Amino acid sequence: MGVRQMIEADSLTKEYGNVTAVNRVSFTVTEGELFGLLGPNGSGKTTMIRMLTGQIPPTSGSARVMGLDAAKDPIGVRGLVGIIPEQETPPSFLTAEEYLRFVARIRSLDDVDERCDRWFDLLEFGDKRNVLCKDLSRGTRQKLMFSQAFLHEPELALIDEPLINLDPIMQRTVKDFLREYVQGGGTVFFSTHILEIAEEICDRIGVIHNGRLLHAGQLEDLIGSGRHLESFFLDLVRGDAGA
Amino acid sequence: MPVPDLFCAMMKEEWRMHSTIFGSLGFALFPAVIAVFALLGSLTLPLFADVLPYDAVALFAHALFLLMGVMVGSFGLMGREFMNRRFGQASLVAYASRSLPVSERRIFAAFLVKDTVYYILLYVLPFAAGFAAATPFIGLDPGLAVLAFVSLALAFLLGLSAVCFLSTLYARSVALLAGTAAGLAVLALAAFRLGAITVSAVLPPYAFFLDPAVEPLAISLLLILVPAAASVLFVTVDYPDRTKRFKNSLDPLAERVRTLGSAHFIAKDALDLLRSEGGAGKVIFSFLFPLGLVWVCLRVLIRFIPGIDPLVVFSALLGVISATIYNWLTEFDSFTSYAFLPVEVSEVIDAKLKSYALANLLPLGVLVLAAATSGGAGTFIPALAAFASVSAYTLAVTVYLTGLHPNVMLYHAWVFLRYLLAISPALLLLIFASILDPLYAFGSLLLILPAALLLSRGRTRWQAWEMPGY
Repeated sequence: MGVRQMIEADSLTKEYGNVTAVNRVSFTVTEGELFGLLGPNGSGKTTMIRMLTGQIPPTSGSARVMGLDAAKDPIGVRGLVGIIPEQETPPSFLTAEEYLRFVARIRSLDDVDERCDRWFDLLEFGDKRNVLCKDLSRGTRQKLMFSQAFLHEPELALIDEPLINLDPIMQRTVKDFLREYVQGGGTVFFSTHILEIAEEICDRIGVIHNGRLLHAGQLEDLIGSGRHLESFFLDLVRGDAGA
Repeated sequence: MPVPDLFCAMMKEEWRMHSTIFGSLGFALFPAVIAVFALLGSLTLPLFADVLPYDAVALFAHALFLLMGVMVGSFGLMGREFMNRRFGQASLVAYASRSLPVSERRIFAAFLVKDTVYYILLYVLPFAAGFAAATPFIGLDPGLAVLAFVSLALAFLLGLSAVCFLSTLYARSVALLAGTAAGLAVLALAAFRLGAITVSAVLPPYAFFLDPAVEPLAISLLLILVPAAASVLFVTVDYPDRTKRFKNSLDPLAERVRTLGSAHFIAKDALDLLRSEGGAGKVIFSFLFPLGLVWVCLRVLIRFIPGIDPLVVFSALLGVISATIYNWLTEFDSFTSYAFLPVEVSEVIDAKLKSYALANLLPLGVLVLAAATSGGAGTFIPALAAFASVSAYTLAVTVYLTGLHPNVMLYHAWVFLRYLLAISPALLLLIFASILDPLYAFGSLLLILPAALLLSRGRTRWQAWEMPGY
């Protein structure tokens, strides 16, 4: 059996007026991989995730996610994958539990009680299940967004800054979960500008700067060559900025 | 940071917030649209002078600006969540007292001054300018436009300061707000019993317009400045800890409306309205308040137009006002909340329409009550037809032009112009036809066809729209 491609980006480009947020980016992510897209603030990471999940159409190029064209069948893609956007917060006037139930209904899931309980237990926020989302701390909101993305046990998760607002203990829990999830056959594509996270959990990384993909490759190869991710990243980005 | 600097920062912020969405020109033309409409409306005044006396038009205008003041005040003061839902993760100077070395009192004072200047420039000045441009052609003294500018600004500020005062009371204590509201209600009832309630007493700026004397001006200023000063003096951002816990109400509510489909979206709409600041009361207040004004205005009109059937005219206006319920239904929601889920814009719009249909039981109840208490039972059926048709048509126009963002998009000059052009002629035609014969109100049923067409097109039109982010 061949390797299953979970994400195939082909010359993806997004322009906002005169600004090119993502510029002819091509890469693939295979099943069972934990791929980290690294880049400084404003480099095009969020735009990339939004295009891959059909939230915004590309100006040119295409993206196939789990075999579906993200621009032509965005609902199909979003039905299959789990997404954690960076900015979005859960609805203010639902409680944490109500929000998970709301998402479960949208995704037509069964066993809603068990699914909710599992995530309240894993991320240790069951005591907040009856609190309105607007009254939750940022960290708890992030836990909730994390829970909604994995509620339907997707084969692929796309996460924009996965550990944002989480305390060190919860960061450990989430990192462990992501590794286990990938070992169990799941695939993760996440973006971050925190290199330590990538260095710790990624199989493969991509470096994006000014909307262009400067590098994509195995993290193992990089470390094997004796280089640190930080110096590699800084050399790439500074070199590109100076070019 | 001095108040003038804060004021300048807030003015820039308000401008940029709107112009980011519409483009500078799209938003800058908004006052021009108001001016053109005021001009055209003023030019038609002599044509309808026999049916619609100038005093009655002036009363409508003052009531309208009072209402605008209430709406602007409500919008500005409903808090960070409100803004975030509308504009994404908005961070405004008004919410910065905890991060800037500036007192909340100073920020709030600047906020009030900003709202006063900004919205008088946006609404009142262009309206008065349009009227002024028409005065030479309709035989009125141009000086009347200056008077209108002052009195309409006073009406706007009366609404704004009243809401600011009430919101400050609410921030201090819900009981204090309830007590004040009860006290005011008792006073109003007593005054009504004593026959002391007149239009001029309720709306002193209107009295000032009719008779530009010191007394109504002083009363107006007193009613504006005292609540505004009190709200600045006692403002607080240290709201009492109202972190509430709720058991799952989503599923039980959804179960009740399961047969309608989109049950969880409808249940969410209901919870948004019930649990947001002010609860269901804010919707009912914002709905009943303009209706009360309409009713008062109609009582005045009856004196001038003996043949008018107040119930039919009331029901047509009720239909327009009830469409604002859609604004509330979209107020605490944003499609960005669903953009990462397998949900289409059309699905959310459909759910809002169902929520709207359910919420319309409120205006329907008001119509039944109005018919029962005003002796208008004879024209109830045509009035009902007018209400249902106008409500559906206004809603359809709103959905088509603004999608899920009526509270933002209606500030776009072009959108606002199209909104007015789509609704005003149909409404005026219906009102004038029903003055000739209330049974002509059945003609409003013809509006159902374009309403269905607009809704159908609106559902697909908004599918691909991207709201500019902050």
